[in-house]
Amino acid sequence: MNAIEVNGLRKEFKAYSSRPGLSGAFRDLFTRNYKIVPAVNDINFTVKQGEMVGYIGENGAGKSTTIKMLTGILTPTSGQVMVNGMNPHKERERFVQTIGVVFGQRSQLWWDIAVQESFRLLKKVYKVSDADYNEHMDHVIKTLDIEPLLDKPVRKLSLGQRMRCELAAALIHNPPLLFLDEPTIGLDVLVKLKIREFLKEINEKYNTTILLTTHDLTDIEALCERVIMLDEGNIIYDGALRSLKEKWGEGKEISFEFLERAELARLQTLTEDLGAKWEMDEKDQIFTALTGDDDEVISQVIARTVAAYKVRDVKINEPSTEEIIRNIYEKGMMHHG
Amino acid sequence: MFYVRMFFQYVAQYMKTRLEYRADLVVEIFSDLLFQAVNLIFILVVFAHTDFLNGWNRDEIIFIYGFFLVPYALFSAFFNIWDFNERYIVKGEMDRILTRPIHSLFQIILERMELESLFGAITGLAVMFYAGSRLGLEVNWYDPLLFIVLVIGGVLVYAGIFVMIACISFWADARTSIMPMMYNIGNYGRYPVDIYNKVIRFVLTWVLPFAFVGVYPAAFFLGRDEWYVYSFLTPFMGLAFFGLSVYIWNEGVKRYRGAGN
Repeated sequence: MNAIEVNGLRKEFKAYSSRPGLSGAFRDLFTRNYKIVPAVNDINFTVKQGEMVGYIGENGAGKSTTIKMLTGILTPTSGQVMVNGMNPHKERERFVQTIGVVFGQRSQLWWDIAVQESFRLLKKVYKVSDADYNEHMDHVIKTLDIEPLLDKPVRKLSLGQRMRCELAAALIHNPPLLFLDEPTIGLDVLVKLKIREFLKEINEKYNTTILLTTHDLTDIEALCERVIMLDEGNIIYDGALRSLKEKWGEGKEISFEFLERAELARLQTLTEDLGAKWEMDEKDQIFTALTGDDDEVISQVIARTVAAYKVRDVKINEPSTEEIIRNIYEKGMMHHG
Repeated sequence: MFYVRMFFQYVAQYMKTRLEYRADLVVEIFSDLLFQAVNLIFILVVFAHTDFLNGWNRDEIIFIYGFFLVPYALFSAFFNIWDFNERYIVKGEMDRILTRPIHSLFQIILERMELESLFGAITGLAVMFYAGSRLGLEVNWYDPLLFIVLVIGGVLVYAGIFVMIACISFWADARTSIMPMMYNIGNYGRYPVDIYNKVIRFVLTWVLPFAFVGVYPAAFFLGRDEWYVYSFLTPFMGLAFFGLSVYIWNEGVKRYRGAGN
């Protein structure tokens, strides 16, 4: 069964522009200039139950708008959305019973009351029975290590503590689908790791579908096998994270530090037939060969270079996901969608 | 049933929060009572100089004012939506509201309630009993029942108007200063509407029907039978206006654009 089905989904916003000057302001009173801007531009995708999907894109690419349509907060301009077999904004109150939502920048908890009071109230809001609550939440509380925080008011928690509580709060009704919008923003590494561990566990234990947006690609790498990449409201990539790397990762870089003086031209001629390109960092005297992904070529380049010069250090670098994604955006690979 | 249960859950939560800040609570209750007392004295002073106003005597006007305070207190306790635009639209709190399985307007009512305002109802009742005894009004067995019905009608009228104004935020993103203006206009409902000119009377009856919060229902208890039609219209106006406002609200929620991150 598909947790999310999206067909030709579109959301347009009116962007008003004001005219300059006093007379402009006066004219704005009667007719305002606006143009229609599509924030999400006829996108299609499906997510299967139990998948963990990373939804990525630059600021303003339409991530939040999509998430808000999927959670029933915004009404789409056109297109179909089916989430958990329901139309989110049409049957909002029944629908939200089946999802959990964490917005990193917004709190679900009541600021002035103890965390457990918030949990208790949410438990009633979601009509969770005592038995279900105890069985499920005991585990969540233990895994997220928030037991000692339960009797503290939310305003006294640190960001990392609060985020863990937010996550627990989103799971009170044990929803089959979890939306996480920037859940690790501003958190330190340890908390991030703990949250990732927890998400993996939830996914395994309950087969919870997770849709995650984040700026931190290490989150995606740690959790998601599939990414959906958005640019200006269009999906420009939808597939496995690994093949994204294979497709867009432009070979490898081999950096050499030599014990003696080396010449760029000589290195270049040495490996001409292998198709390696050399670059030199003047300051540190580091020479870098850019090659394809072929292991044979890489070892050949290394062998020939080592034979020619004495070497102090060799490093083989693979471009990080972040670099790959930056590359894709810089080149604006719309046509590869 | 679920909504009734949730209402009491939130009330309990509200009490707990209030009790956390015990000193604040005491100060607030005290200042509320003081405020109501000042209000009471103010009314008596103001009306000490007027004997008759277009056929209404001083005690009748005081009685209307007392009646008005009761629905107004209930309204202020549960419909704190004057900063709806600021708090829920601009700051994007509406996002959170919309991800929970309770009607959005009801959630906002629950979140924003201020039960201290209910003290105003006590003042209102005190004023009514004071004026009523001076007028020699008798209390019939059905009066308390009708009182409750008319008060609820008044609250719904008031709430309907303010919910509709809050709804403007769904269509226009500019901040509006209509809210404070409305509070002022609301005060006109405290006085007998026949002291105003026809246009204002029409507006206060059919457009912004604040007259149904004060003078019309109070006229029933004063035995002013020329206004009875309006008195009995109160609950219907309340249901109509509040119903309309909920409808507009639901339409507005569909247009909610969310706050950008």
